[in-house]
Amino acid sequence: MKQSPDMARLEQVLRSGRIVRGGFLGTDRRPLAEIIEADRAAVTRRGLTCERIAGRMAELTAAAMGRLGTWVDAGGGLQVRAEEHKGLIVCPWPHPARCRKRITTARRSETGQALQWTDLSIHLIGKHAFFQGRESAFRMEPDALIDFLGLTGEATAEDAGIWPTPKR
Amino acid sequence: MAQAVLAVLAISGVAAMLALILVVAERFIARYGSCTIDINQGTRQITIEGGKSLLNVLTEEKLFIPSACGGRGTCGYCKVTIREGGGPILPTETPFLTADEQEQGLRLSCQVKVRNDLVIKIPEELLSVREYTAVCEKIEDLTYDMKRFILRLQEPDRIDYVPGQYVQLLCPPYPGSDEEVYRAYSIASDPAETGRVDLIIRRVPNGICTTWCFEHLQEGQTVRINGPYGEFRLSDNPAPALFIAGGSGMAPFVSILHQMEHAHDTRSVRYFYGGNQVRDLCLLDEMKRFEEHLEDFTFVPVVAEPGPEESWDGRRGLVTEAVSEEFDNLADYEAYLCGSPGMIDAAIKVLKSLGIDKARVYYDKFA
Amino acid sequence: MSLSQELQTALVVCFSAVFTQNILLTLFLGMCPFTSVSREVRTALGLGGAVVFVMTCTVVLNWMAYHWLLVKLDLEFFRFVLFIVIIAAFVQFVEMVIDRYSPRLYQNLGIFLPLITVNCAILGASLFMVIRDYTLLVSLGWGFGAGVGWLLAILAMAGIRQRLDESRVPVGLRGPGITLIIAGLMALAFIGFSGVLG
Repeated sequence: MKQSPDMARLEQVLRSGRIVRGGFLGTDRRPLAEIIEADRAAVTRRGLTCERIAGRMAELTAAAMGRLGTWVDAGGGLQVRAEEHKGLIVCPWPHPARCRKRITTARRSETGQALQWTDLSIHLIGKHAFFQGRESAFRMEPDALIDFLGLTGEATAEDAGIWPTPKR
Repeated sequence: MAQAVLAVLAISGVAAMLALILVVAERFIARYGSCTIDINQGTRQITIEGGKSLLNVLTEEKLFIPSACGGRGTCGYCKVTIREGGGPILPTETPFLTADEQEQGLRLSCQVKVRNDLVIKIPEELLSVREYTAVCEKIEDLTYDMKRFILRLQEPDRIDYVPGQYVQLLCPPYPGSDEEVYRAYSIASDPAETGRVDLIIRRVPNGICTTWCFEHLQEGQTVRINGPYGEFRLSDNPAPALFIAGGSGMAPFVSILHQMEHAHDTRSVRYFYGGNQVRDLCLLDEMKRFEEHLEDFTFVPVVAEPGPEESWDGRRGLVTEAVSEEFDNLADYEAYLCGSPGMIDAAIKVLKSLGIDKARVYYDKFA
Repeated sequence: MSLSQELQTALVVCFSAVFTQNILLTLFLGMCPFTSVSREVRTALGLGGAVVFVMTCTVVLNWMAYHWLLVKLDLEFFRFVLFIVIIAAFVQFVEMVIDRYSPRLYQNLGIFLPLITVNCAILGASLFMVIRDYTLLVSLGWGFGAGVGWLLAILAMAGIRQRLDESRVPVGLRGPGITLIIAGLMALAFIGFSGVLG
């Protein structure tokens, strides 16, 4: 299916290194709409929404803020730290959203397993259901991310994948 | 046979005619002729061929309007006031302009196409901004993720700036980044040396410009900068001053301390400089030298969590905690901040609780 | 055929092109943008408007080129090449004019114009005009009607799809799948119009 001109133009921006080095899509050759659709489906299968995942990530980042890059216990067996750099980064979607250049690192205290995301990642996941392309610098696999955050969806028959809950 | 020839001729003829019409149309329709842009009521007048965006035209004329997105209309920085000739506000601009700004005639210069004479107004300080070519004379490692780049100016070969101001460094396209971008860095050199600009740059993971500086920029290479910009500077008020910085936020203070040394400034200065570990701190020796040479200067490095192999007998904790432990009341002080936005927010909170007047807290908003 | 008769035929052709002979829903031309650019009513309206304009003008231009040039030279088989070239040149020209005189319209419509050049419905409209032997005036009615019909169909689809975002679509059918099913249902509904004009 051909993408709309808006979508095609957006994909071009995402593939280019105009906003982040190497672009947002990494080595992923799938069309943008397909990437988003696949990740959104993965999230739906777990009975969750992208907003909820982004909300949890934002909570963790908020917990680390004000501690100037040192580790903070965020509860739930997670430790977080947020490192900030000067400057702002713009959202590639055509709307005026700007994020600070802040990188949050979260690690599970018992396993030492760690994940990193930026403020822009939170925005992209929450607002655009975009988890970035395979092998790009800040790609997050929806399933791995959900497991890491320890989120669980309401396990109803609807979430089995056939009849999703309406967005409201 | 005859028909084949006729067919080819007829189709070629029609195609050629259409092409001709398009070329003629392009000449008459897509040409805007020469347009005159009047800047700040005749301070400067430029005449150019119309058809390009106002931002491009101004950049070509060496008038640098700060812009972070490179003319895509997503950052909303490149606002200029257009008094006459700007045409209607485009849908791509409206998200960035408040009703007040629209009333005043503010526009995004990257979205406005020059199609007729314009009368515009830009901030006075931008008129003194120049573009410089410089040779990167030396690259020094300051810490594991910070370097100092010493630039020797070529053309023009000297720069006038107020310590505390910043310049924009042009990062050319390189593998992984396909466009020129500009990034702002504070000047960290002695203002007496007018032919030299030092930049202290901390590596940003996957950052476009810092990756270029750390991996591609070589000593002896020519770079381009423009500037100076910014309002951050030492005030004329002799009140005691409190500097708070973290990481590469050290940069403007180096310049300011040099300035104080030359001017035999006797005001009292306390400088709190924070890092997570000892390895995050830079230029400690240089600060020691300033302590010896300046009348009343104390440098207080603060480390949050010294690493297991690091020895540290200085202060521990966050830089903001160190400030609130040290002082009970800052009402007489002026505060100067440079660091990450998070540090600035945290510092402002602490300073307010210590009774400092908000109008006497200075920091650069380019962050 | 007298002028008034011709005018009447043009009106009938125009009306039937909108409803009974809808170029999208009964002839299934221009499906590609129909499935991909029908997510929002606003963009659908932009594209639809551009189609109406380009279709009306190119059908008329192509009628002139066909009857006054190709038929005279006995080169009818060349109509495909000629029509495409004329459509492409016309779109270029219009884009240039809009850019010059109405930046606002250019912002809204501009991105859709190049997309239209390769739209099969535009070429299809010109080819039907030849097959059905329309006169110039009737062609005008046909081109306009076909464009409006296309606009109507994509607008209806965009409206439905906006509603669809809120509803429970089986996972496997999301996106193009459900769009095609809806298109089929809409086509059935439009067949209901076929009795209107005998």
